[in-house]
This record gives sequence, C-alpha cells and structure tokens, in this order.
Amino acid sequence: MNFVIIFIVTAILQFFTPWWTVALIPFMIAAWRPTTSFQSFFTGFLAIALLWFLYGLYLHINSLGSMSNKIAEIFSLPNGILLLIVTTILGGLVGGLAGLSGYFVRKTVA
Amino acid sequence: MKFVKAVLSVIVAIGLVYALNRPWGKVPALGSFLSPFTGFWQNGEKLAAPGEEVVLKLDSLKDEVTIRFDDTGVPHIFAKNDFDLFYVQGYITAKDRLWQMDIQTRAASGRLSEVLGPATFELDQKSRRLGMAYGAEVNVKIALSDPKSREALLGYSAGVNAYISQLSPKDYPVEFKLLGYKPEPWKPINTMYMLEQMTLTLAGRSNNLNMSNILKKYGSEVVKDLFPDYPMLQESPIIPVGTPWNFTPVSIPENKPGDVKDTVLTNEYPKEEPKPEGIGSNNWAVGPGKSKTGYPILANDPHLELTLPSIWYQVQLHSPDMNVYGVSLPGIPSVIIGFNQNIAWGVTNVDADVFDQYKITFKDTTQNSYWYDNQWKPTRKREEIIYIKGQREPFRENVIYTHHGPVTAYTDDSNGTLNLATKWIGHEPGNSFLTFYDLNKAKNYEDYRNALAKYVGPAQNFVFADNGKNIAITVNGKLPLKRKEQGKFLLDGTNPDDDWKGWIPAEQNPFVKNPPRGFVSSANQSSTDPTYPYYINWMFAPSERGIRINERLEKMTSANADSLRALQNDNFNVLARTILPKLLAILQTTPLNATYKAAQQVLTDWNYQNSPGAIAASIFEEWMPALKSAVWDDEFDSPKAPMAYPSRDRLLYMILKQPDEKWFDNVKTPKKETLSDVTVASFKTAVDTLIARHGAMSPSWQWSEVKNTEIRHLSRSLKAFNAPHLQVGGGSSIVNAITKKNGPSWRMVVELGPTPKAYGIYPGGQSGNPGSPYYLNLLEKWEKGELNELIYLSSPDQQNQHLTSRITLKKK
Repeated sequence: MNFVIIFIVTAILQFFTPWWTVALIPFMIAAWRPTTSFQSFFTGFLAIALLWFLYGLYLHINSLGSMSNKIAEIFSLPNGILLLIVTTILGGLVGGLAGLSGYFVRKTVA
Repeated sequence: MKFVKAVLSVIVAIGLVYALNRPWGKVPALGSFLSPFTGFWQNGEKLAAPGEEVVLKLDSLKDEVTIRFDDTGVPHIFAKNDFDLFYVQGYITAKDRLWQMDIQTRAASGRLSEVLGPATFELDQKSRRLGMAYGAEVNVKIALSDPKSREALLGYSAGVNAYISQLSPKDYPVEFKLLGYKPEPWKPINTMYMLEQMTLTLAGRSNNLNMSNILKKYGSEVVKDLFPDYPMLQESPIIPVGTPWNFTPVSIPENKPGDVKDTVLTNEYPKEEPKPEGIGSNNWAVGPGKSKTGYPILANDPHLELTLPSIWYQVQLHSPDMNVYGVSLPGIPSVIIGFNQNIAWGVTNVDADVFDQYKITFKDTTQNSYWYDNQWKPTRKREEIIYIKGQREPFRENVIYTHHGPVTAYTDDSNGTLNLATKWIGHEPGNSFLTFYDLNKAKNYEDYRNALAKYVGPAQNFVFADNGKNIAITVNGKLPLKRKEQGKFLLDGTNPDDDWKGWIPAEQNPFVKNPPRGFVSSANQSSTDPTYPYYINWMFAPSERGIRINERLEKMTSANADSLRALQNDNFNVLARTILPKLLAILQTTPLNATYKAAQQVLTDWNYQNSPGAIAASIFEEWMPALKSAVWDDEFDSPKAPMAYPSRDRLLYMILKQPDEKWFDNVKTPKKETLSDVTVASFKTAVDTLIARHGAMSPSWQWSEVKNTEIRHLSRSLKAFNAPHLQVGGGSSIVNAITKKNGPSWRMVVELGPTPKAYGIYPGGQSGNPGSPYYLNLLEKWEKGELNELIYLSSPDQQNQHLTSRITLKKK
C-alpha cells in the first residue's frame, strides 16, 4: 500500500515540483504509516526507482534515444539504457534513504 | 538511541539530496539533470507528425499568424503586419535556437564568464577592450529611433520573450541544464551584439603591428618588394578589368605619411592571429544570355566556421508587402541571404581595411589626456564589469577611449608600455539592419542600390539578380577615405594627418551592372584592379577561387541551377596547376628514395582535383605550408617581434619568375640554399609528416581523412553533440572551400523567373537541440554536395507534398 501511495503521489507531484520531491514523499509516507525499517527503505527505493525507470524508458523510446544516447556518451557510458539504469538506481537510493529516515523519525515518537 | 538513528538517517538522506542538488565542477546538479521529469530526458524529440495542427495564444500579437513547417523543419511564416511577422520570427527562432542565441550574445558582449567561469575571462576581456558593447549601444539607439527597425527589433524581442516566458526549467535547452543556468529575457540590443560579432569575425583584425615590425627590421624597399599592394602573379578582380569608373573622385588629403612607422619599436605584442583562410565566401550570378531559362541565376556560399547548430537558420517571411525566403542569423530579424518574388541576393566578405591601430601618448599615468594635434585632448573612460562564475567579486576595468577608439595597453620588456587605440568600423554609428530589411522587400535594381547605401559594415560584396534580367555586384559598406597604404602600418595617434578622412561616397563604391562578360562574381579577392581611384586594402584573399570561378563561368552556356551547384562543389586546385609542374620539374633533378619517389609519382599523375579520395591532394596540401615555412621562417618567424609573411602570390611569383632570389637561402645555416634545396627539403618534410601522422602511404592518406573536416557543437567541448566524420574534398584555395573547421556554411542557388525556383542546404539542421531529428537532417545532403529545393509558398493554405505541421498563433 505504501508503495502505491508513494508511486502515485510522487508521479503526480513530479510534474510541477522540484526533483527532490522524490525524497520528500517517501519520507512523509514512512513517517506517517506503520512499516518496518527494511520495508521503509525497500518501498521508497522501489517506488521511486520504478517511477523514474518507467518514465525515463518512455522518453527514451519515444525519442529513439536521440538525447539519452548522446548524454550517455558525455558521461562515458556506452548507451542511453545504461544511463537509464544509473538514473533508476540513483532515484531509488534517494527514495529509499528518505523512506528509512522517515521510519526512524516515526520511531522517535512511537 | 532512537534519536541518534533518526538524526543520522535524516542527515544521510539530506546529505544525499544536497549533493545531488548542486553542481560539482563540470558535472551539473545530478538530481534535476537525471530526473526524467526535469532533466535531459525531456529534451529528446521526435519528428513532427504530418498534418499536426497546434493553436497557441500569445501576448501582444496584433493579428492571427500562421506557420507552416516543411519536412526539413523550415518555418514558413504568414503574418498580416510587420510587427507580427518579426514577433513570430523571434518566437520560432528561439524555439529552435535559444541556447545559441544566448551564448552568441554573451560571446559578443563579453559575458561568457558569468556562466562558464574563469576559462573564458580573457575572451570576455578582449571583447570589452575592443568596445563591442560600446558599438552595440551606439547602434541600438539609432535602430530604435527609426520606425522600421524599431518595429522589427521590438517585435522580434517580444516574440523571443513570449517563447522564453512560457518555459519551465524542464523545457530549457539541454545546454542550459548541463551548464546550470537559465535563459535571460531578450533585449533589442542583443541584435546589435550579433551584428558586432559578425563585424568582428569578418573585419575585426589588422596586420598593422606585424607590418610595422617588418618595416622596422627590413626597411621600406623590402616591404615594397615583398608586400606589394596588388598581386604580382595572377588576379581576377571582382569588378572586371576595364569597367569604367563613371564618377569624379573626391580628393583625398594627400599628406605626408606619418613618420611613426619608423619609430615603432619591435615589441612583444601577442602575435596577431591572421584570419584563417577558409573564412570567406563565393557568390556569382549569370545573366540571361548564359542561362537555359533566359533569366539570371544567382549562387552564394558563405564560408564560416562550421558549427552545430549552424550559424544560419532558414525561414520564409510573408506579410502583405513582402515574401522572402532565405537564411537568417538567429538573433537578427529578417533574412540575410535569400530571394523574394523579384530579386535574389547574396554576400561575400570584402576584407576592407577598416581596423587600424594608433599609437597613443598619454600625458601621465592617470591617462586623462592624450597628445593630439599639438595639444592635450581629454580621454573618456568606460567602466567594464565582468562577472565570473564562482568568484564573489566581479572584475572591473576602466577602458580609456580616445577619439580614435578604445585603448589597449601592451607591455614590452625593452620598451615599457605601448598604448594602442583601435579605430574600427564596429564603432561606427549606423543602421546596417535596414539594408537587409529593404532587400527583403526589394523589387528591382534601384531598390537594391538604395538598400545598399544604408549599409555600414562589415563591408560585403553584394551580388544581385532580378527577374527584370539584371545582374550586378557591389563592393559595399562604409569605406573610409584614406591615402594609399594608410593603415598598412601602425598609425600615429598624435597626428591629425593619420585620421580617417571621411568616407568614399556610397555611389562611388566599386560596382558593375550587366557587364559584357555576362556574369558577375566574387570570392574575397581584390575588389578592383589598381585603376580604382581609392584605397580599400593592400591585401585581399588569395586569387585562386576567383580565378577558377571566372574561368568556368566564362565558358558556361545554357546554365541551370545544377550547373551552378556543380561549380559550388568544384574541387579543382588552381594553386597546384600554377606551381606544381615547376616544383615537380625541380624534384626530377634530385635522386629520391623509394618512399619519396612513390609520393612524387602520385603527384605527377594527379589531375589537380582535391577530391575526397585523392592522396595527391594530401601530399600537395601538406607540402605548400612546408614550402612557405622553408622559404620565409628564417627571416619572418620571430617570437620577439611578430611579423606578417609575404603573400602566397608573392611566393609563387618568386618561384616562377625570380628563382635566384636571396630569400630562398636559409640565413640560419652557413650553407647557401637555393630554390631547389628548399623545394626538395620541404617535399621530404611533407611526406615525413604524413608518414608520422598516418603511417606509410595507404588509403589513410586520402584527402578527406588527412583534412578530417569536423563540425563541432558550439560549446566546442561536448563531443557527443558534434557531427560524425565527414567524407569531403575541397580545401582552402578551392571553390569548394571546406577546410578542417571552415567551409560553405550555406549553399544557395536561385533561378530567377516569373516564379523563383531556389535550392539550398547547410551542414546541420534547423533545430539546435541535439536530441531532435532536425539537428543533423541536412548534413548528409550537404556532404554529398546536393541541395534541397526550397519550398517557396505564396499563401498559408497552399498545397505542397513537403508540408507537414502547422501552428496558428492568436492574440491572447
């Protein structure tokens, strides 16, 4: 359930808020709703990673990688898909760590 | 414990977000850059859907405007008044080229360091010291006081700003995201900066100091001998020899040349970079007698640095009193090179002597006054403030202005400080924009001549053809009235005799209309033969391109657009035809080893074509600079006192007609070298260089591989945005003037007639976005030397198989 809430709320907010909303939402959800330490990290990670992956993949395919493949070259990566994986992991890490800290903050008052 | 865990984990999470939210050196802030919602992912584009229709509502439009796009991405704009027309030109140019407009304006105004940091500081300082902003400020006042240019500039600015204001950060061109800054509102003065930048590129340097150093070291006899004012071996001037000068020239004050040239001290002035050969252009028009259609045909290919995005942007502009198609410069309203229903025009650079340096004597270190006409004259000061990214305090400098122009100080170990004022056409008040505005609407020869009279600089050879079957070419611009050779050397800033004495009257600028030979042409060579009563410059671009063009046009009959296209792609090497037989004859007399013999054989078998696969072209093109060095380096290469080198024409003349000249001897060796010695030695050097760089002779010696033409992204550093490797021939003295970095930045051929039929191409694409299918879509055809038919519409609803999407703009 937390996964679905994070995924949907972040997806909507991301269209008109700064990128760091991907930290804010997992933090708030984990601080608000009961979860475990492992789950808070995992849910945050997976929700953001999946969100960035799916939308990034859509943009990549839609433009035939015309931009992503070139940016990959700038970052010394072989292609845009690998850059998408880097993007996914980075987004996931931010979401996961934010979720985990939300969980620990909740613990201080629970 | 709970609290520690909570605080620690929050710190780690915030730390990560913080680290991803700021740039690290050259790496942009990765959070927003990588996020698919805000980052570069947003900049990928796909082809416009055919038949797609978009309606936009915009502020301050006066009426409805329609844009039709063709399948190459060119906008065809239909407006009901000039303001709307230029508004939408600004809007759509910004949509395709916003970052280019930003970075080029910054380069011209000396504001690169604000976004690029200390790396560009010296560039900025140079622009400021040259007074680029000063020139732009003078000119924008004039432009805004004329109703026509005012409407165009305000309309264009409003359009660019309408585009910028609707962008959110995720929509910014990817370069803004990579460099971490955002677009600024566009101002009318930015257009003037763009014009200044053009003036700088085409008329922004002089050889004054290099020449003065030669005078100092070798005296006037040598200068007269080695640096003549007209080519000695061969020339085919722009205005055909024998064209009568039907005017009474105004008298030129013939004062004694100032003595300053002999008192100039050799100094450690940084070596002036000569304009690279390859910055120049070709244009020509054939008259009705030479064409298949019975109407004139006009061609133009301006040679500039080849970049991505291209310096040019194609556009059709249609309003009730105008229907013009051609290329514009992003940032400048109107079309710069193009055609309309009745006329076509094109430009090449004149290379007039419009950049002079004057030696200034200040009264004291305050530099508040300088000596002029036997009295102290007050200076003016202009504060230049350069902001530098990553530095808290901006750099401030007071640039001193004399009546000549801004002063730059050069320090020299032996002589102290040398203060030089720059008198430059870029500071001359005027409204050159109106020339293009009027040409866009011109209907006939008279309109063309009237439009040209408004032009200041950089002086251009304006070629013209109309459907009244006229052809013409005018060496045009405000050309200073000077005595002969005034400005060949450093000038005396204290002596009024050395000032510019006004201007050559516009109607007396060299021109020719419908000459008997049936064609007009220019390729940056000498404007006229020495009978023209005024001094324009003492040296122009080498003559080979002009000679070749004129030879081929002379012979041409029943030409069509394709004949002129073929001439634009002509790879014949006139230089080789002139000199190679003589050089090979010299080689014949020397025993050579097998490696050199093989190279010699390749050259002997050569048909003088600089085609992409020619190995001979590679050897020859490597040999010529080596030969030049072998002859002149010992006398003219000095790190202490930089000097100009004698022209190519002078060297050829010496080789062919004065083989026993002392200059062939290398004064740095005890031996007495001859023409034969330097020829053989430089030939070996050239072959050795090729072997060192490309291995033993093989297909890797092919001209296109050795020349290795590159088209770089404007950032000059983002290699991923560069064009792929190109297979192209040509060269610097070739009509097809593609060098390593410069070349035909636009090729256009227009068949005049009841309805014009035009063709054109440039190496790149309409979009400046590297993620757009329109970024490089024109490159392949350009590489092959082909042209696209230019879709010239007469109404917004015209049917044409090449048309795709449509945007309708309505006022809000």
